[in-house]
Amino acid sequence: MGFEVPLWRGIAVFRIASLVYAAALVMQNFALLARPAGAWTVVAVMAVWTVTATYSYAEPSRRSWGMVAADLGVAFACMLSTGFFGGDAYLAVAPPLTATWFGAAPLAAAVMGGRRWAVGAALGYGVCDTLLRGEVTPAVISGVVLLLLAGYAVGYMTHIAAEAEQRFAQAVELEARTRERERLARSIHDSVLQVLAMVQRRGAEIGGEAAELGRLAGEQEAALRALVGVEQRPAKLTGAETDIGALLSAHASARVTVSTPATEVPLPSETAAEVDAAVRAALANVDRHCPPGTRVWLLVEDEGDAVVVTVRDDGPGMCAGRVEEAEADGRLGLAQSIRGRVRDVGGETVITTAPGEGVEIEIRVPSKP
Amino acid sequence: MTNDIRVMVVDDHPMWRDAVARDLAEAGYEVVATAGDGGKAVRIAPAARATVAVVDLQLPDMSGVRVTSELLALESPPRILILSASGEHQDVLDAVKAGATGYLLKSASKDELIDAVTRVHQGDAVFTPGLAGLVLGEYRRLAAAPEPAGSPDTPRLTDRETEVLRLVAKGLTYKQIAARLTLSHRTVQNHVQNTLNKLQLHNRVELVRYAIDQGLDD
Repeated sequence: MGFEVPLWRGIAVFRIASLVYAAALVMQNFALLARPAGAWTVVAVMAVWTVTATYSYAEPSRRSWGMVAADLGVAFACMLSTGFFGGDAYLAVAPPLTATWFGAAPLAAAVMGGRRWAVGAALGYGVCDTLLRGEVTPAVISGVVLLLLAGYAVGYMTHIAAEAEQRFAQAVELEARTRERERLARSIHDSVLQVLAMVQRRGAEIGGEAAELGRLAGEQEAALRALVGVEQRPAKLTGAETDIGALLSAHASARVTVSTPATEVPLPSETAAEVDAAVRAALANVDRHCPPGTRVWLLVEDEGDAVVVTVRDDGPGMCAGRVEEAEADGRLGLAQSIRGRVRDVGGETVITTAPGEGVEIEIRVPSKP
Repeated sequence: MTNDIRVMVVDDHPMWRDAVARDLAEAGYEVVATAGDGGKAVRIAPAARATVAVVDLQLPDMSGVRVTSELLALESPPRILILSASGEHQDVLDAVKAGATGYLLKSASKDELIDAVTRVHQGDAVFTPGLAGLVLGEYRRLAAAPEPAGSPDTPRLTDRETEVLRLVAKGLTYKQIAARLTLSHRTVQNHVQNTLNKLQLHNRVELVRYAIDQGLDD
């Protein structure tokens, strides 16, 4: 609603101005009229119709296909009457009695029904004008071309306006939905999340089975927090870049601590995906080889030309040489899935470990492809 | 020592406010005031004369960052320990830059909370790995940002400070860091403290410069 209103106002102004112009033409060529009284009657009909149409199109509820059909009918009838009231002498020097006034009806049809209606009305005008004059004159052609262009332009504008209106409505709806989501998120944050966090804390203090319950509550808290996403920033920056900090934050849980800068750490999307997969592999490795309760820390650092992601666990670690040994034997999935992936995107991996010191995997990848 | 510690707890959630206050009281600390919103906290702080304020980052009326600034502007300000859920990156960083001494996650245990309050009371910085990551990121951001003409005072970390901060971010305790770098526990603590002090000093300088630029200094 709303974008069409100026178009209708424009048509009303056009109709009134054209009426004045048509009357002036009749007055100027008064001497040439075959039946002057009839011609003036036509102008009077046009005046009455101008008032009727302007009134009818002003309100959306009064706009209808019947109205458009009547509008076109009156326009064509008034124009065709020129043959009888005006005569050949008049038509030789002046346009039909309706002059530019005729254009208002096709324009109204264009706003109601689109470009096709305008084109149809313009061609209809051409046929009638040819019939009136008995031949195709330059005046007929210029009249049709002007009508075609004006009708097409108005129809196209209406189309654009309708589209803009639709997009605007979508945007409004999206904003309403986002607002509702934020309201829900705030409400969840203030109630459920607080209770879950409290259960986690108390559970850990009491120990035993309560600790297990607390751990579950903690996991649910992290999951719910990610779901309502109040504090989550979107990982996807543009088509080609991804914020590796936000991407890896998804791994945060009661067991995994993720530390990132407060600002975005952009990486080419492909590189980010490989780093994420490498981190998954490292986390899976901890799950497989370390006792339950082993904690993991993920650190994301932006060094400008490179991004460093470190995965450290406090598990039992390995003897020096174990990694290389296992790698040489081709047994260690860690080596292939991490080193290989990181190498593919032009980065390097350093794995350090010692018995009792956990495993630390440092992944360094270039920030530019 | 314990008896000198006067704590104010600021949290809008009654359940958390009471739990934190109870834990601290059980540990023998004097909880002198509690507040459910920032406005009340700032109003009652002068009379409460707390030495440590435990402030939730998300409050209904004003941000934890603003509460931190306003409390620190008081005549004898308490030291601030920020308590929050995970994920509020920028807010945590802003609160620390505004002068908070420590930061702790809400999921921290009772013992960790008590230890943190004790250390904040003594003026020692309390870091989580997450905060260390944020601070490292902030120094890098400052170093990378185009420097305004004639400002050589962009804070920088020494190599040793960077090393220590990275280890904190990777989840090592001060004790483990001390062992790994063959430093004393106190030295590790001092390095961490310095990273924070430089950032806070820079923040104050920036604020003053901003005020002068905007003509707000009179």
